[in-house]
Amino acid sequence: MRSSVWWRIAWRNLWRNRRRTLITASALAIGFFGAVLMVALDDGISRELVDNGTGVLTGQVQIHARDWRPDRSLYATLGGDAGTDVGALLARIRAVPGVRAAAPRVWAGGLISAGSQTEGVVLMGAVPALERGVSRILDALVAGGAPRDGAKELALGSELARKLRVRPGAEVVVVAPAADGSLGNDVYRVSGVFRTGLDDLDGAYVVLPLAALQSLLALEPGRIHEVAIALPDPWTATAAAPRIAAGLAAAGGPPGATVEPWPVFSPEIAEYARLVEASNGLVVGIVFLFAIFGVANTSLMGTYERRREFAVVRALGVGPAGVARTVVYEGLALGVLALAAGAAITAPVLVLWHHVPLNLGWLIGNLEVAGALVRPVLRVEYSADGPLLGAAGLLVTAVLAALYPALRAARVPPADALAGR
Amino acid sequence: MTAFAKAPRRAPMAGRLLLLLLVAPAAAGAQTPREIVDRVDRMLRGASSRADIVMEIATAHWTRSLEMRAWSLGTAYALVRVVAPPREAGSATLKVDDEVWNYLPRVDRTIKIPPSLMMGAWMGSHFTNDDLVKESRMIDDYDIALAYDGDRDGVRVWEFALTPKPTAPVVWGKVVEQVRQGDLMPTWARYYDERGTLVRTMTFGDYRTFGARLVPTVMTVRPADKPGERTTIRYRALEFDVPLTPDFFSLRNLQARH
Repeated sequence: MRSSVWWRIAWRNLWRNRRRTLITASALAIGFFGAVLMVALDDGISRELVDNGTGVLTGQVQIHARDWRPDRSLYATLGGDAGTDVGALLARIRAVPGVRAAAPRVWAGGLISAGSQTEGVVLMGAVPALERGVSRILDALVAGGAPRDGAKELALGSELARKLRVRPGAEVVVVAPAADGSLGNDVYRVSGVFRTGLDDLDGAYVVLPLAALQSLLALEPGRIHEVAIALPDPWTATAAAPRIAAGLAAAGGPPGATVEPWPVFSPEIAEYARLVEASNGLVVGIVFLFAIFGVANTSLMGTYERRREFAVVRALGVGPAGVARTVVYEGLALGVLALAAGAAITAPVLVLWHHVPLNLGWLIGNLEVAGALVRPVLRVEYSADGPLLGAAGLLVTAVLAALYPALRAARVPPADALAGR
Repeated sequence: MTAFAKAPRRAPMAGRLLLLLLVAPAAAGAQTPREIVDRVDRMLRGASSRADIVMEIATAHWTRSLEMRAWSLGTAYALVRVVAPPREAGSATLKVDDEVWNYLPRVDRTIKIPPSLMMGAWMGSHFTNDDLVKESRMIDDYDIALAYDGDRDGVRVWEFALTPKPTAPVVWGKVVEQVRQGDLMPTWARYYDERGTLVRTMTFGDYRTFGARLVPTVMTVRPADKPGERTTIRYRALEFDVPLTPDFFSLRNLQARH
């Protein structure tokens, strides 16, 4: 017999007990719905983590002098002691396809002092207008404004401001060992206070205009430690870094520069994102593990009811494999039906949840995970993983659940069953 | 007894070095290392000094020289003021007990060094702020053992090994120091971290008589992890038992230009 006949029989059998079939299909469809949503939610959390982890300060790709890590020496500037043409360098980086923005930075360690309070701090020199393109540190101002280029101003973290007891407008002294061996020191006005939610940044970071910090550190204008680069999609960073490196190499510089994507300089965030991804398979597995027994149960009941029919079919000359096949086909047909239903209920919820995320901000504050800030905003992300994993899980479940009933059906002894024994 | 035994424990900063140099050498009797150190401690107490110092710092990136004047009183007080070059002149450091203040003439501000930054460099040198504040508590903080007694380079020397007592608030894991037996002058000291890795070496030299006391007038500290880098302190003038009182070591005096 052609297999299409078996399909037809399977399909008809499916509708002999309409209610039972609909309930079983619903179980599978809801399993699909749950699995896809949970994976999408995981992806949302992972994306939030990476977006914030790389978006608050670091950017998605960074360029440094080769000897910058691990000491972060004041002297390890791009292009060595001679420095580099910062404007031309930024232009070359922005010319690389896929780069959204680039900003130069100078880093140093120092002291900040106000009144009788003194704290050790990380000094970050930045061009405020460019910095806004790659990081959100200057968008996180809770008081005052960003330091202005050319002014002796600085912005500092909220916890640091609290410890120093300063507000915008206050005068502070910054002291840092300069590149010429002297002790750089100057007075600055606090222009603003930022709160990122990250303890390190809020407690110990000070942002000054690039030129002001270079002047404090006795560094020439061409000497910068870092270029931070923003990409439209953080997940493209690993692919973009070599492209940017090639773009720089083709333009001749700066020599000895390394281009690194965020998984290299923020490995803890990458690890966490990988962990979340790895848990997706587990989630789908658990959801359908529950479904498989329910489906097997109803399917088994269906085959017991049809003992006599199977006996007749066997008596008409169909082998045990044929009988088993029709039961498995039935499971598969049920799976396809459930998949269609599942997709129909999942898609609108996914779209809605993506555009209207669930904000639990009223319930819990921001969380710090792996050094990155995570807002308690549950947003689902679209990805191929979730639906594909969900569909595979559903169909495998449907077929696996049919295997045991199929075995039982194939073993129905025709004569005994027909005789009612 | 000289103050040599102070050096091994901590690199004496300028002010502290002064303290270290305050006592006249004496013949070494048959004493235990601990007794020697204890005697030095007691002899140091209450002494005062005034010195003119040149500090040369050489790093991989720059070399500079600072001329300074320093005052000390006992183990608790020290004041160091830069007099040259003009760009740095007026910069000053005040130590009172365990606290350190820096005066910055350019911005006319005084900042207090927080405890978390005591291991930071002092005036860009290879000394730390911590070197400045550590008092003479040798016998309290360290177990002192004689590690060697004999001739080296034709000079009879002792080598002392100092290991911190379990509860001592010190940063070193071990300090080893060599002293000449004849005049009790220190020749070198090596500082190790808790893993036993050499962190820095201090050498003493150019022993001269100031105010009827023999003292090493040159001290060089070399960080082990930065070959070629060093800070050298050289004494050009040194007076002992100058009339100083604790109120000389005030924040107001820190900011005064002398």
